[in-house]
Amino acid sequence: MSTSRPEIAVNPKPISLLLVDDDVSITGQVGAFLARAGYQVHCEADGARVLEKVKGLNPDLVILDVLLPGMDGRAVLRVLRASGDHRPVILLTKVGKASERALALEEGADDYLNKPFSSRELLARIRAVLRRARDTSVSLASAWTLTAGSLTLDRRARRAALDGHPLTMKPKTLALLEHLMIHPDELMTRERLLNEVWGWEYPAGQRTVDTRVAELRRALGDDAEHPDFIETVPSEGYRFIAPVRGES
Amino acid sequence: MIRRVILSSVPVILGLAMIIAAETLAPDWPLLRLQISIGVLLFLGGLTGGILIATIFLLQWLHCLRVDAAVQTEKRSQADAQNRFLRRLDHELKNPLTGLRAAVENLEESVSEDPLLTTLPDIRLQVERMVRLTGDLRKLADLDEVTLEQAEIDLGELLGGIVEAVRAQPMGAGREIRLVIPRVPWPLSTVSADEDLLGSAFFNLIDNALKYTRPVDVVEVRAAERDRLIQVEIADTGPGIPAEEVPRIFEELYRGSNARNREGSGLGLALVKRIVERHGGSIAVHSRMNGATGTMFTVLLPASGSVDITKR
Repeated sequence: MSTSRPEIAVNPKPISLLLVDDDVSITGQVGAFLARAGYQVHCEADGARVLEKVKGLNPDLVILDVLLPGMDGRAVLRVLRASGDHRPVILLTKVGKASERALALEEGADDYLNKPFSSRELLARIRAVLRRARDTSVSLASAWTLTAGSLTLDRRARRAALDGHPLTMKPKTLALLEHLMIHPDELMTRERLLNEVWGWEYPAGQRTVDTRVAELRRALGDDAEHPDFIETVPSEGYRFIAPVRGES
Repeated sequence: MIRRVILSSVPVILGLAMIIAAETLAPDWPLLRLQISIGVLLFLGGLTGGILIATIFLLQWLHCLRVDAAVQTEKRSQADAQNRFLRRLDHELKNPLTGLRAAVENLEESVSEDPLLTTLPDIRLQVERMVRLTGDLRKLADLDEVTLEQAEIDLGELLGGIVEAVRAQPMGAGREIRLVIPRVPWPLSTVSADEDLLGSAFFNLIDNALKYTRPVDVVEVRAAERDRLIQVEIADTGPGIPAEEVPRIFEELYRGSNARNREGSGLGLALVKRIVERHGGSIAVHSRMNGATGTMFTVLLPASGSVDITKR
């Protein structure tokens, strides 16, 4: 064939990840898992060398442990963001306290995962974060104001408004809305919401999530049957379906 | 002569009666007790004797206060040290567990037909058990600092919802779970509580009652109110807990003889106890292994307005 049509890349450049952790049992095993999933995985153990590695390798996403020798993971992230680098970052934390979780987001992480996490869960997060990064320029997780249609959430002031009218809701309900809005179009299981918004999980606790979602829907005037914002995924969980924009 | 003795002893008896009455009626008002004692002693023994005895009383009282404060500080620092230990343990377990989990997941994805891989589900189960344990350790350490989201809670409603949720779980299927909530002549007072946290404590107790009893056994959840205290009992007709184990069951990681071979981290009841205490309440257990066997957990919670739970 003599067509001069340019060859469409059958094998596009694989997505590359930089996995930063000082524990070889993690870089080794988790790294192998991610490599099998089709990513090109680079590893680094020293926090002080992450910035130079990011410049040299230009990875599509960085997975960053918080406790690192050389330079703390949070400090690395702060320096990275201060230099104007907004590539997706997933933080690996060990402490699941609510204050800690809020901190991870304020420092500009796109998502975080508590150790001991499952590699399958990490893979799901990587995919979601990469997809979100393609759709929006500002990372929703580090945006101070989130907007979905007529709904606005001011994360600093802890206030939500619909059509400019302030909404009254309990702190936990607002935290739930915030979490759903940072992960638009992602299936959020009840277990995951309990773990990440409440900080604990137990079988009947799933009822707690349903109660709060019902409360949130009432506040938003959202119809569960024909929702504008929160969709029920039968026997799985919930999904925020409205497109979300973030402003820093 | 006899009449004089009786007459002169009347003020002494009256005075002592006043001191005893003050001691028993006002145990929480040491200053008031001291003042009454001083007054009575001054009246009985004249100025010099009164002041002398009052000084002794005062010194004793101050000493007691100091010992009390020292005991409190000691308890606090012990609890803090234990929390630090829990956090470190939790911390040190998490990295190896993450690696182990990933290793198991790598093997699970492998296409090898090696018969040794049949042990994988077992390894997986044990790893997940340790993951749960570290999660519970972290929760236990967190409970002392977590901010309670306080609201006025109708315990009848809360317990009703939990019993309903338990019935919907596989472990509750086909089991007899009775719920007794007083409505007449007036409903229970509300309690000021973090609904989600307190709910998890009651869930845990009801879950335990089902887990450690036979399918034919009955579980009864009942509430009552007395003297501004709401009492919730979770009772079962199970085989009971050996008497020597009863004092230990709220300890961290303690697993009673019934608990062997059963799923659980050994932290459930320790968590329940801390949650109840954070709400200004207390928990006790009674169990019998002879005659009418069974176990009864009694949770006492202050009715709303009687205590401030925001303080640690």
